[in-house]
Amino acid sequence: MKWIAIAGAALALCGCQNMPEPYAPPVQRQRFENFQPYRVNRVLNMADPDARDHFVQDIADKLEGTWRWTAQRPTVSLTPASNQHLLYSIEFTIPKVTFQETGPVTISFYVNDHLLERKFYPEAGHYVFEKPVPPEWVPLDKPSILAAEIDKVLAPKDEDRKYGFVLVKLGFAE
Amino acid sequence: MKDALAALFGAAFTVAACYALGSVAAARLRLPLRRQEKFPLAFLLGAACLHLAIFAILALKIAYTPVLIAALAIPIVWAAWTGDWRLPPGKGAPSRSLFDWAVLLLFGGIALWYTVLYLSNAWAPEFSPDGSGYHLGLVARYLRAHGFERVETNFYSSLSEGVEMLFLPAFAIGKHSAAALVHFAFLIALALAMLAYGKRIEKPWAGAAGALLVYLTPVVGIDGTSAYNDVAAAGIAFGVFYLLELWELQQEPRILIAIGLLAGYSYAAKYTAAVIAIYALGLVAWKARRLKPVIAVAACAALMALPWVIKNWIYFQNPIAPFANGIFRNPYITPDFERGWTSYLANYGLKTRWELIPEVMWRGSITAGILGVALFALPLGFLALRWRPGRRLLIPGALFLAAYFGNVGTRFLIPSLPFLTLALALALEPLLPVLVLLVAFHAWLSWPPQVRRHSPDAWTLQHAQFRAALRRVSQDQFLSRFWEYHQAHMIEKYVPEGGRVLAFGNLPDAYTSREIIVSFQGALNTRLADMMNIGWAESFQPTRVLVFSFPERGLRRVRILQTARVSNVEEQWSVHEVRFAHAKQELPRRGEWRLRAFPNPWDVQMAFDNSEATRWRSYENARPGMYIDVDFGREEIVDQVRLETSQDDPDVRLRLEAMDEHGNWTTLADHAKVEPMKYDGSLRLAATHELHLRGVDYVFVRDSDWGASEYSGLPQSWGLKRIAHDWGATLYRIAPEGSIEESKR
Repeated sequence: MKWIAIAGAALALCGCQNMPEPYAPPVQRQRFENFQPYRVNRVLNMADPDARDHFVQDIADKLEGTWRWTAQRPTVSLTPASNQHLLYSIEFTIPKVTFQETGPVTISFYVNDHLLERKFYPEAGHYVFEKPVPPEWVPLDKPSILAAEIDKVLAPKDEDRKYGFVLVKLGFAE
Repeated sequence: MKDALAALFGAAFTVAACYALGSVAAARLRLPLRRQEKFPLAFLLGAACLHLAIFAILALKIAYTPVLIAALAIPIVWAAWTGDWRLPPGKGAPSRSLFDWAVLLLFGGIALWYTVLYLSNAWAPEFSPDGSGYHLGLVARYLRAHGFERVETNFYSSLSEGVEMLFLPAFAIGKHSAAALVHFAFLIALALAMLAYGKRIEKPWAGAAGALLVYLTPVVGIDGTSAYNDVAAAGIAFGVFYLLELWELQQEPRILIAIGLLAGYSYAAKYTAAVIAIYALGLVAWKARRLKPVIAVAACAALMALPWVIKNWIYFQNPIAPFANGIFRNPYITPDFERGWTSYLANYGLKTRWELIPEVMWRGSITAGILGVALFALPLGFLALRWRPGRRLLIPGALFLAAYFGNVGTRFLIPSLPFLTLALALALEPLLPVLVLLVAFHAWLSWPPQVRRHSPDAWTLQHAQFRAALRRVSQDQFLSRFWEYHQAHMIEKYVPEGGRVLAFGNLPDAYTSREIIVSFQGALNTRLADMMNIGWAESFQPTRVLVFSFPERGLRRVRILQTARVSNVEEQWSVHEVRFAHAKQELPRRGEWRLRAFPNPWDVQMAFDNSEATRWRSYENARPGMYIDVDFGREEIVDQVRLETSQDDPDVRLRLEAMDEHGNWTTLADHAKVEPMKYDGSLRLAATHELHLRGVDYVFVRDSDWGASEYSGLPQSWGLKRIAHDWGATLYRIAPEGSIEESKR
């Protein structure tokens, strides 16, 4: 018992840590003027740690490597630093597994509910779509809503969810 | 060829010194070792003793090549002088049947074939992930410093490094592959010890088969031929077990000294291997039923283990770093990192433990490495419970299996394998042809082309590497297939001596002498990465102000108290800046102020430095009782406290309290008004400025890193100058203060 008590006391002493003395305020930093122009783009990679903070709807919580399943109208919210020279940018895959059921699909791309383009995809595959966004569609200093709506989705009877396509990234590029 | 010979000599010299020192120790302790037991057990015992000598050399900061050579030479001369070097005489060969000869030929042939494969791989330039990373990276660093130093930017330096202590002299002579060859010697010793154990219990075929089942296992092969420590840990653990068996037979108290030394060395080699020390103490207590033998084992074990405990206490303020940082609080490793790291190691991202079975048996893409499907037969080892040796083997085997669930990487099964395969071999020994077939099947499936065919993503040996081993292919040429090697070279080429580089992923530290600060490998690293992330990731930026307003009053000491229980274990409390105001004028921060915080008191200044690129973070799950405390040193008139913060701690709830004249805390305001905040300075320039202030002037970003495009898109917005881009990565230099214009060019 004596040895156990000594070992316990030694362990307790280890816990008496060297907590620091209170600190004085450090040297005050000067503000750095904002360097312009910042790169204005903000493309949301599905694997980004903060990606979920930007989801509005129809994007799966679960990350599959670098992509996520969408439902019908995956939508994200982003605030670009400028509204000039912006491109709507999306990288996605129409997987064979859904294509076998849906056949060719049409995807409509939206910025703040303005229809930017509607594109027909006759085959499964990996796609990148980019198109300039009119500056007046993007208000400054406010979040903008970007969406991509697929016309047909896979809805397995035994699952309470829909499968649209596989989303890799979505956002504003320059 | 010169490099190849240097590697071989460095390893052979180190192994010989281990054996010599172990032989001397075994002779002094009068260990009753038979001929076939002498090499493996003396080597393991000598490794334990030599590791302590190298530790002392590093602690004294005299790790110069001549000193290390002397440390190796002295035991060899000593053993040669005393004659302890010699093997004891053996018995004559037993008479064998034709079947016995056939099995002997088969087993011998398999063992020889694999030994050639393994030797060529261990001898070839080393490029295993952890071997060329921290195992040898730290060895190289200690050699450059000629001793230990606090490596606060790499938490791996707080793990015990008992095997790395042997890599060190080998590395000093023969560089990286000399260290891998030393580890390979542990694999040979383990196999020989198992073989000898089979003979000792008069089940030689069981010993041979058990040894081969371990030796041929794919993950054992790649690990044991790399500068890792898992196979060494398995060897040490088996050595402890073996000596315990001898002690039980002989009841000779001197054996307890060897048991204790080796048990302590198990802790020094790898924390998880210390399971065998617990087994040893338990068995000795059970069998001796006296305290004195237990104390003898514990004291000898402490001799080996305590130096590592003390080193951590001195360097990391935590004797068992990198664990228990919530108890032994320190500025080097955060509890939040520990939580995330240990929870990852417990599952490697797998959803259930059932998924471990295909992973460790044949897939090996997530847990790295495979055992091979032949070892599905391991549960048959329970049949060995019928015999005493079987029961004895299964207890440590089960203990190591239990410890495995702390880190489910396949290689963490290695320490349990010798016990489990021997139990299996014992169970099948009465059906010798079945046992022989099992070994042959395992040998066939474990041969690299087979493994690659069935488990293409597993960490495994590729093929024999004779040309690389003999340096017919130069090291540069051999390693050029690894893009990380080129990246390390890029850093070596462009970063001046003494330069520090922030990186967002692991690099082979052993191939660069520059300090790589990997974003997650230490508290400082995490802080630096956080600053850079604040430069571009919205959710980390100060975008809101929590405003506590109250009627003006004189205050001497104020604290902001966190009151919410936050269920999201990843949610921390963070504050970019705390500002005090009176009549809408901010109080200037006077030098007399005294700042405290709990937890993480070391970073509290980051909430008072006027930089929005830095923030104080709790670095553990937000919980009631956390605080930031300011003592003004005199009475100040205040009517508002403003906390500038980000959006990533939504569940945090704060209360403002003041200390009254009796020293009691009273509530000033129990909730804050939230206002949006728009910072119009440059967070990016502020972030790189903070890095520069901490002596970090280089940033290494792989194209696949989080936020890579934010740096490459417009480096001048960060004050970064791109100085090299190759092999999927970019090296930036932080432009010296006041020369942002330079970076624009």
